[in-house]
Amino acid sequence: MSNMGSSRGFSRRNFLRGVGVAMALPALESLQPLTAAAAATTAGQMATTATGAPLRTAFVYFPNGAIPGAWWPTGAGADFVLGKTMAPLETMRNNIQILRGLDHRTAEAGPDGGGDHARANSCFLTGVRLKKSASDLHAGVSFDQVLAKHYGDQTRFPSMELSCDFVRKSGSCDSGYSCAYTYNLAWSTPTTPLTPEPNPRLVFERMFGAGAHGERTANLLRRQEEQRSVLDFVMNDAKSMQRRLGAADTRKLDQYFTGVRDIETRIANAEKLGTTADPEMDTPSGIPANYEQHVQIMYDMMALAFQTDSTRISTMLLAHDGSNRSFADIGIAEGHHDLSHHRNRPEWIEKVASIDLWYAKQFNKFLEKLDSMKDIDGNSVLHNSMIVYGGGNADGNRHTHTNLPIILAGGGGGSLKPGRYVDMKSKPATNLFLTMADRLNVSKIARFGDSTGTLSQI
Amino acid sequence: MTEMSRARWLQATVTAAVMGVGIAPSVRAAAVDTQRAEHFRNDIKPILTEYCFDCHADGAKKGGVELDKFKTDAELLNDRELWFNVLKYVRSDVMPPSKKPHPDVAQKKKILEWIKSDVFLIDPAHPNPGRVTVHRLNRAEYRNTIRDLMGVEFDTDSEFPADDTGFGFDNISDVLTLSPMLLEKYLQAAEAIVAKSVPTTAYVMDEQSILGSRFTAKVIEDMPATMPAASMPATSPPTNARRQQNNANNNNRLRQKTPYLALSYYKPATATYTVTAKKDGKYHLVVDLTAKGNFASSGFDFNKASLALKLDGQELFHNEYAWAERREYHEEFDVNWTAGRHTFQFDLTPLTPGVKQTTQLEMHVDDVIVRGPVDRSQWVRPANYARYFPEQNTPEDAAGRKAAAKKLLRDFATRAFRRPADEPSVSRLADLAETVWSAPGKTYEQGIGKAITAILSSPRFLYREEQTLASGANQAPLVDEYSLASRLSYFLWSSMPDDQLLKLASKNELRKNLHAQVKRMLADPKATAFTENFTGQWLEARDVATVPIDVNRVADSEQLRRTKLQNDNEKRLTRTALQSEVREYFKYVVENDRDVIEFIDSDYTFLNERLATYYGVPDVTGEELRKVQLPPDSPRGGILTMGATLMVTSNPTRTSPVKRGQFILDNVLGIPSPPPPPDIPALEESRGKIKDHTPTLREQLALHREAPVCASCHNRMDPIGLSLEHFNALGLWRDKERGADIDTSGVLITGEKFKTIQDLKKILAANDRKDDFYRCFTEKLLTYALGRGMDYQDVGTIDQIVSKLDSQHGHFSALLAGVIDSPAFQRKQAGDGDGSSVTLVK
Repeated sequence: MSNMGSSRGFSRRNFLRGVGVAMALPALESLQPLTAAAAATTAGQMATTATGAPLRTAFVYFPNGAIPGAWWPTGAGADFVLGKTMAPLETMRNNIQILRGLDHRTAEAGPDGGGDHARANSCFLTGVRLKKSASDLHAGVSFDQVLAKHYGDQTRFPSMELSCDFVRKSGSCDSGYSCAYTYNLAWSTPTTPLTPEPNPRLVFERMFGAGAHGERTANLLRRQEEQRSVLDFVMNDAKSMQRRLGAADTRKLDQYFTGVRDIETRIANAEKLGTTADPEMDTPSGIPANYEQHVQIMYDMMALAFQTDSTRISTMLLAHDGSNRSFADIGIAEGHHDLSHHRNRPEWIEKVASIDLWYAKQFNKFLEKLDSMKDIDGNSVLHNSMIVYGGGNADGNRHTHTNLPIILAGGGGGSLKPGRYVDMKSKPATNLFLTMADRLNVSKIARFGDSTGTLSQI
Repeated sequence: MTEMSRARWLQATVTAAVMGVGIAPSVRAAAVDTQRAEHFRNDIKPILTEYCFDCHADGAKKGGVELDKFKTDAELLNDRELWFNVLKYVRSDVMPPSKKPHPDVAQKKKILEWIKSDVFLIDPAHPNPGRVTVHRLNRAEYRNTIRDLMGVEFDTDSEFPADDTGFGFDNISDVLTLSPMLLEKYLQAAEAIVAKSVPTTAYVMDEQSILGSRFTAKVIEDMPATMPAASMPATSPPTNARRQQNNANNNNRLRQKTPYLALSYYKPATATYTVTAKKDGKYHLVVDLTAKGNFASSGFDFNKASLALKLDGQELFHNEYAWAERREYHEEFDVNWTAGRHTFQFDLTPLTPGVKQTTQLEMHVDDVIVRGPVDRSQWVRPANYARYFPEQNTPEDAAGRKAAAKKLLRDFATRAFRRPADEPSVSRLADLAETVWSAPGKTYEQGIGKAITAILSSPRFLYREEQTLASGANQAPLVDEYSLASRLSYFLWSSMPDDQLLKLASKNELRKNLHAQVKRMLADPKATAFTENFTGQWLEARDVATVPIDVNRVADSEQLRRTKLQNDNEKRLTRTALQSEVREYFKYVVENDRDVIEFIDSDYTFLNERLATYYGVPDVTGEELRKVQLPPDSPRGGILTMGATLMVTSNPTRTSPVKRGQFILDNVLGIPSPPPPPDIPALEESRGKIKDHTPTLREQLALHREAPVCASCHNRMDPIGLSLEHFNALGLWRDKERGADIDTSGVLITGEKFKTIQDLKKILAANDRKDDFYRCFTEKLLTYALGRGMDYQDVGTIDQIVSKLDSQHGHFSALLAGVIDSPAFQRKQAGDGDGSSVTLVK
């Protein structure tokens, strides 16, 4: 290595080396959560644990279902043996609940015919029947956004939408459904999907500011100041434009207004909540070429967002339903989606199961990371979280949407009973969301999507 | 249908009836319904009864189609989706099935005309132009617009999320939504672009930036000329795959083409460059280097090298370097120079001969920057200054400044908004600029930069706002000429209108000169965007860069040897060439105004040596793609047998006749098949029926088709897909598949028999079938041109263009003129339409 040259670079490798391999993130001490300042949070407040710590919620989506026989545990309650593809979660078994018998019946074909992947994807957090159209989008407000509307103003970012899926295929997506259904989980209105961010550098800079450690906060403040003056001008422009437009155009321009207000609110929140953290680490470079590295660094970004209480709500689309990614690292040259239609060939089933296992392994690393992060109340960040890991397709071969593979990780700040395998016996998956709302002290939601009530056992 | 839209629809019904049939305006809608229904009963139903009712009436409902299910006339006339399907299938002879009796030409015409006039209510004299909602710039359009407006490249692929697509294209205005995150990115992009391009002061220190690739390198030893092989990627044109790779690793907000100089750690090398200093004085030098290595499975690479930089023979630095995945170094020096020539020389010396090389370690010289003279009196105008500040000197007095600011912001905003900027906006912009430049320590230029940031963040820049002219009677209004200029430029250039278009629009002379302007625009290099974005999506050629095909499992040893695909660089170059073939072919048809049917069948294609080897075509040498006359029996020629098409319709390890068949139905013949039903009978059920041998894919598909639910679609897809079985998943020719002979023969759903893909191409390009392609291609082009899906109301427009193509020998210019002259392109339906639509192309 050079003894004279001064390094101005960074890379993911340096980043990982700098902070250790298993624990890719800086220690908590250097990153006081913002709520430490606002630790006056009272119990009973939304998204707050009984001890006054932030209560985080995340939804992580993996594609194409899971081979049921290899996925489901045996046993029941606390006495269960993990299925083959869930085996990597053994180290975190006391932090997860495996929920059997949750359904998304609104993702079934019904009168709409093909398009199970598009439906699986955008029904997952909305629980509604999607309008089948290539251009006339209509889903529902997704559950994460419902939460964000209730308490998103407690943090600098009401929510954070992440993705590890950024290469788009040309042509049509799925049987007459717009690609917007296929590539988005979060919907702020029934017609506005929230595009997720795949670039870890941009996620990091958005949270903490651009530049090197030490300069970021100033950069962030400068940017906010710059934006504020521009926002005044463009708001005026948008209003005059709106007067000239017809109704359908006005609806589209509403998205612009919403965006402006959103940024204004965020700037106001940032001022209200005080200065931000500036992690002692290099800014990640762009999207790693290797998928595993990409998945891990995006999980890192989510963990960092939670640790610094930049947001309490996040979604992550690991890959869209129908994803045909191949997994050369584990010797699978075929596409995931092609394989998932295995037609009961044992060697194909085996390969899909290896992919399911691969995803579980990545997720477990994320859980371990959260588990090793200490929160302001002395518990782990994982303890103070509710993380849904699952998909809207159950059996990828047959496109079923009942008995979905769903795991609820985290302790919910003590409000959940992890370490168990529980059978919900065919309930809408939206009942899980209602239950989560309940634990988050968001009491005003009586119904969500096709929900029929809350789940008592979790 | 909502009450509101239903009322409007009825109103439209009445109006159409009034114009088309001549009934008094007071007539009730119900009466019109009755009349149209009677037309059906008297003229149409008898034909349907004879040719269709056996399978689609009296309780029979094959394929879910029931033609006598209607309880009322209104129901009959309102089921546009059903009648659209009837139109589609009858027109393309898919129905009635080939073995059944067919209606004659006149009867067929009657059915089609009735559907168009009485169900779709199309008035051929005044077709409904439809409505495109206000269009947000997509990533490609934003990038090109910034390039043309600001003169800088902004890498939207890495900075903005991918745009959602609809109808196979990413410029469909209805799905180009704007999330709060994207707006935030737009604001940041505006800042970054302004920071990059708009000068912040009137004078700066002079600067020369010398990219590494401009150095003359000598590698000692038997290496190929001037540059080590490993540096090749840097100087070859970027492919999508490479761009993505670059984006992934790119820390720069603004894309810079930085073809660096790569020096291998294992070979001694020198590289020189001579600069000329214009004046005597103190200069500041900056050197940017990057050490680069990959992970190697065969172990860590312990090699080291030293690099020295000499200026006019005197050493500036001398360092040692070891493995780094990617590590950047930055060196700075001050020197006193006399005016005249000064020479930089890099010397790389390997330090560890004999140490095992496990990967490829390289030192990249990114650039050498020479700044100076440092003395302020010697400073110069910044680059780009005249572009933003055309006046020689900015007035010193406040009023003069404000007036100058207004003038330049008015001009800039007019180009950025693609229509004249109104005075209140100009004043607000100038005020914004003034608040900045009046602040302590700020310059006039920074104020203007701020106003430009605001312009680039405005919805009037990010969306294409359209205005219409006053409408005539019974006619949707024309869009104004500024809107037309943008429709043209975003169609053909994926970018903003240039000064000439805006000038014509300002004088209301664009429509008068429309065809001359279209010709000019197509000849402009910016028209590459049309080829790239249209064919890249229509034929999915964009995906060639990323489609995962497992070379080792698809190609046999002879093919691997011939194509060298196991080498990553060769693989990349091959994929690039395959994409280029699509592009060059399309360009040729457009530029030479060929019959577009040559997309289906021709005796030529575009090859370089690499592709010719790939296809087994002799006597083509060199990297340049050129038109090649194919041997008479060649299966190549036309999009169906291009490697690109064959690859994007394959699975990673094998061909997929179903995907290929479906691709051709969707994108070439325009008869998309419905998606598979939810409970697909498994192929292996049919597999069990063959006991004596492992069934071939063809046999499995044949058994699959025995299930009636599968047959209706697979009868259409499979024969087309199977006709391409001589091409493996990489599009390489194979005589046999796993030792077995390949049978490509088949029968089209319309009855034509073929033995080979050559036969099939001839059938599809023949006179009585070619309208299918003409129509499909027209629909695709209209969709792309308009940024919206095709609606039942567009059937009339499409038919008119297709008949124009028929009468004008399929020339591309006829199609393009048909699209641009169509009411859909020229006009805009007032209001929001009737809220109902039947999508034709899914």
